[in-house]
Amino acid sequence: MLSWLPENIASYGDKIDSLMYLVYYITGTAFVVTELALIIFLILYRRKPGRPAAYITGNRARQALWTLVPLAVILAIDLSLDFKGTPVWNEVKAAIPPSNVLVQVQAKQFNWEVHYPGPDGKLGTADDLVMDNQLHVPVNQVVKVRLKSQDVIHSLFLPNLRFKQDVLPGREIDGWFKATKTGTYPMPCAELCGFGHSGMYGQITVHSAEDYQAWVRQQWPSS
Amino acid sequence: MNETAAVAHATHESPGFVRTYLFSTDHKMIAKQFLWLGLIMMLLGGLLALMVRWELAWPETQLPLMNLISEKTWEALNESGSWIARMIPNGFISPESYNSLFTMHATIMVFLVVMPILVGTFGNFLIPLQIGAPDMAFPVLNMLSFWTTALGGLVMLAGFFVPGGHAAGGWTAYAPLSAQAIYTGVNWGQHLWLISLFILGVGSLMGSINYITTVINMRARGMTWFRMPLTIWSLFITAVLLLFALPVLQAAAVLLLFDRTLGTSFYLPAGGGEPLLWQHLFWFFGHPEVYVLILPAMGIVCDILPVFSRKPIFGYKAMAVAMISIAFLGFIVWGHHMFISGMNPSLAVGFSITTILISVPAALITMNWIATLFRASIRFTTPMLFALGVVSMFIIGGLSGIFLGLAPTDIFLHDTYFVVAHFHYIVFGFSILGIFAGIYFWFPKMFGRKLNETLGKIHFLATFITFNLVFFPMHMLGIGGHMRRIYNPLQYPFLEPLQPMNVFITVSAFLLGASQILFMINFFWGLAGKKTWEQNPWEANTLEWTAAPPRPPHGNFLTPPIVHHGPYVYSLPGSTQDWAPQNEELPGKLARAAAG
Amino acid sequence: MTSLLKDQPPRAAPAQPLPGAPPPPGRRPGWGDDEGGPRRDDSPMPGMATAQLGMLMFLAAEGMLFAGFIGAFLVFRFGNASWPPPMQPRLPVAVTGVNTAILLLSGYTMIRALRAAARRKPAQLRASIIATALLGILFLAVQGYEWVRLVSFGLTMASGIYGATFYTLIGTHGLHVVGAVTWLLIISLLLARSRFRPARRLPLELCGMYWFFVVGVWPLLYVLVYLH
Ligand code: HEA
Ligand code: HEA
Ligand code: CUA
Ligand SMILES: [Cu+2]
Repeated sequence: MLSWLPENIASYGDKIDSLMYLVYYITGTAFVVTELALIIFLILYRRKPGRPAAYITGNRARQALWTLVPLAVILAIDLSLDFKGTPVWNEVKAAIPPSNVLVQVQAKQFNWEVHYPGPDGKLGTADDLVMDNQLHVPVNQVVKVRLKSQDVIHSLFLPNLRFKQDVLPGREIDGWFKATKTGTYPMPCAELCGFGHSGMYGQITVHSAEDYQAWVRQQWPSS
Repeated sequence: MNETAAVAHATHESPGFVRTYLFSTDHKMIAKQFLWLGLIMMLLGGLLALMVRWELAWPETQLPLMNLISEKTWEALNESGSWIARMIPNGFISPESYNSLFTMHATIMVFLVVMPILVGTFGNFLIPLQIGAPDMAFPVLNMLSFWTTALGGLVMLAGFFVPGGHAAGGWTAYAPLSAQAIYTGVNWGQHLWLISLFILGVGSLMGSINYITTVINMRARGMTWFRMPLTIWSLFITAVLLLFALPVLQAAAVLLLFDRTLGTSFYLPAGGGEPLLWQHLFWFFGHPEVYVLILPAMGIVCDILPVFSRKPIFGYKAMAVAMISIAFLGFIVWGHHMFISGMNPSLAVGFSITTILISVPAALITMNWIATLFRASIRFTTPMLFALGVVSMFIIGGLSGIFLGLAPTDIFLHDTYFVVAHFHYIVFGFSILGIFAGIYFWFPKMFGRKLNETLGKIHFLATFITFNLVFFPMHMLGIGGHMRRIYNPLQYPFLEPLQPMNVFITVSAFLLGASQILFMINFFWGLAGKKTWEQNPWEANTLEWTAAPPRPPHGNFLTPPIVHHGPYVYSLPGSTQDWAPQNEELPGKLARAAAG
Repeated sequence: MTSLLKDQPPRAAPAQPLPGAPPPPGRRPGWGDDEGGPRRDDSPMPGMATAQLGMLMFLAAEGMLFAGFIGAFLVFRFGNASWPPPMQPRLPVAVTGVNTAILLLSGYTMIRALRAAARRKPAQLRASIIATALLGILFLAVQGYEWVRLVSFGLTMASGIYGATFYTLIGTHGLHVVGAVTWLLIISLLLARSRFRPARRLPLELCGMYWFFVVGVWPLLYVLVYLH
């Protein structure tokens, strides 16, 4: 089932995907065990003349063990999931590593307005460049995205980068990713933002180091 | 004293049509009123879902049968600005109307189908009957509860007909999208949506107050807390959940309405407001609410499984405790809907842990259900089949919740069809199948006739199979990155390969809808049939089946029942019959065995 | 509210005692009976009458409504660096302090009314009820006067988050006081018409619970909203 996942090109994508696989195997096992038990019981214990049901209340300690032991196992699994998940979460969402590439994605009904800081590396200066729905980033570099919205809540979704972050009006939210493969990938909006939500769609282009330099030179020829 | 005696007398002398069918204070009649409301709304909610599905499979094509309406007629409709032309201009779904279609599909299904039937119908019908009370604690309040709900429903439906169309901000109505008309183009629709939600909340609260009071104070002699059927436990817990969750939604709705009408800016950042406040308040209500949508069905399944296994429920007290812990945990996990909302990321860790912890009580319930079947003598009646359907579907829907509850994996899955798959597995596979189980089970008690078993089984099979065909593939869509709430998947090149799946789902959804015709036939056929008032058709223990004849002159029981043991004494060794009604005293030795 | 109580389920069962089931002394409706049965020690609130229990649940819901509003208020109160925001009129702390005392006093007169009812002293009952209602009205009058002044200073629902939270929170409480005063007036009317009857005690007790809730919430609001 997980083979349906879009190709991963994020540095931290593996960690997310392997968590996904871990949950998949755990829940898959739980699914098979419980459904199988259910089906087997249904077949074995269907009504047969002359075979009365047993009187088992499950209130005695001995009987309750049948559920308490699996419960302890599930509790242990739960805690280990949390234990495994927390560092990944913190890596992806909590702390942003130092980065040389900064872009501001400003959402509005119904476009991604991508602001590039230009050679001075500062947003909000004269050499800023604004492109609609086109995000250009270099490969293998930490990209810091500053998310802003002009109107309602949007959500920047980069399926291949395992990146999703809601964009709130009146706030700046920083996110980051590091792409490991060049190419062009989808950049839809994932949060209902009005009648144009469907179709609020852009592209992220991951350039190789040289390509990226060329692209920069092309955009800011003077520098 | 005199007044109450007089009232009791008034109900004795047969009251007129209005008092019997409309403004009845009899909990059994009120239960039926809720049932009708819910079933009719289910038809509407299902219809809206099918329109949503049509659009997703064949985007921007004309809806079926719409070509029968001539172009001239469409033109006239468009010009007159009729609500039809707004909802489906020229027989097509527009992006605007798509948003209000799924918003209203969800709102109707949650607030006007599942809540009225699970809480309204089964709560009203079963609480007094199963605890051995003559009626609810506050019968007039009970009647008002229904009519308030009905009024809320009317206000909700009115939204379809106002200029601008109905609410289109999703059933979660995230601000600021929902806080200003310019963002969606919907003005009165969203107002009415909020007002209706407030009214529906008042109606539910009236019911909750009644349920809690009734369960605490009106139990029959000998009906101790731990002799109550689990349905009563579940309804009691549900009522407590509603009591603590609904007012918060109402407060949030009032603030949103102020933003929309009085120029305040609680949720509007431009005026110093905080958009996330809405989400926190909504989900503080919203997550307990999803347990409201399943707990009564959980209780129903706990009652049906033993009857048709002829075995006690496994771990009765553990079940009650598990339901209480689910309810309790339900209040501290709301943030799992907001992992990537922009709230402080470190909060996500706590919410993630508590969310995943819910799998422990949930697993306890699942395993106890399965253990109940161990060494049983299973009768595959229609209610039993639906109850088993619930058990197996809860496993799928619950397990997919773990993918979402783990914060890092939710980054990808949030707002994709994986979420849609997750919750439909529960809201349909648990709540709706549970509703069907309950209707098939208590129909004889409610209407004095039995539903057709063969037709019921076919209905079950058709529903069960097509339901899985509809919602299982949605997991794959979600994993493939398919966002929810999009009107036209073909606008996204990367979703094109997934489109055949959308078509498959839609075809299955129409089959699922068609399968419900079997239920309708069965239901009306059953109603038209001859009343037999068979007293205890399933040979069950709980008090409602002992209340005879079907309509005592007043109250529910000819004599106040006295309860001698728990509700799950089936196949007690040494007993000649394999069930033991709660009001029948067992001989000393057996009684001790039943108590132990 | 009072009318709802009339239709309590037939208390007929206690009225016609069944063999082996002597009725409890009228407090519990239905046919709950504690004698010998396991219910006595099992009931979580033994002796709590159904109407009171219902009222308690209603107040719990009301409490959550206020919790919702207060939660929203706290988000803004502590989410803003300066509170009240600059350029906003100040709230009348002292006058409202006096008003708080007035409301608390009305709580005391309510206690006296309930005591009078229990001791069957109709004159004292009537006096205390009317005193409570008058104190409530006085509280509302002072609030109304304050609001008029605040509005004239430019503090309105639409003037910013400060005014919006203020009017929402204090207004919700005010509406509750209006409801409670109305209820009190109805009761005093009933008292004036017919002489005090024990049967009238239940509505009075319920009204008392509601009043205590309304009075009890206020100091919290005062501290949160007015004192900073
Ligand atoms: C009636 C409804 C219902 C129920 C019961 C649940 C139950 C659960 N839900 Fe679900 N949920 C919804 C209805 C429901 N949900 C809805 C409507 C939404 C979407 C709202 C919207 O955005 O529109 C949603 C969304 C939702 C999200 C947000 C997703 C997102 O938007 O990104 C999350 C995240 O944590 C979640 C998690 C869970 C979990 C962990 C449970 C748990 O309670 C499940 C527990 C059950 C089990 C775990 C199965 C039984 C156990 C076993 C078989 C033992 C083995 C188990 C293990 C080894 C783990 N749900
Ligand atoms: C209880 C809740 C519930 C139920 C039962 C359903 C049932 C169904 N839902 Fe629903 N759905 C939601 C709650 C529910 N849904 C919610 C909360 C959302 C999120 C909305 C949002 O994003 O804001 C959603 C969203 C949602 C979407 C996503 C839309 C989007 O994101 O763009 C889709 C798409 O396929 C869908 C499909 C369906 C289908 C095909 C059914 C089918 O199962 C329906 C089948 C039923 C029928 C066809 C009716 C049959 C009629 C009867 C049984 C009547 C009998 C009558 C008498 C006897 C008188 N739903
Ligand atoms: Cu922007 Cu959806
Ligand atoms: Cu939830």
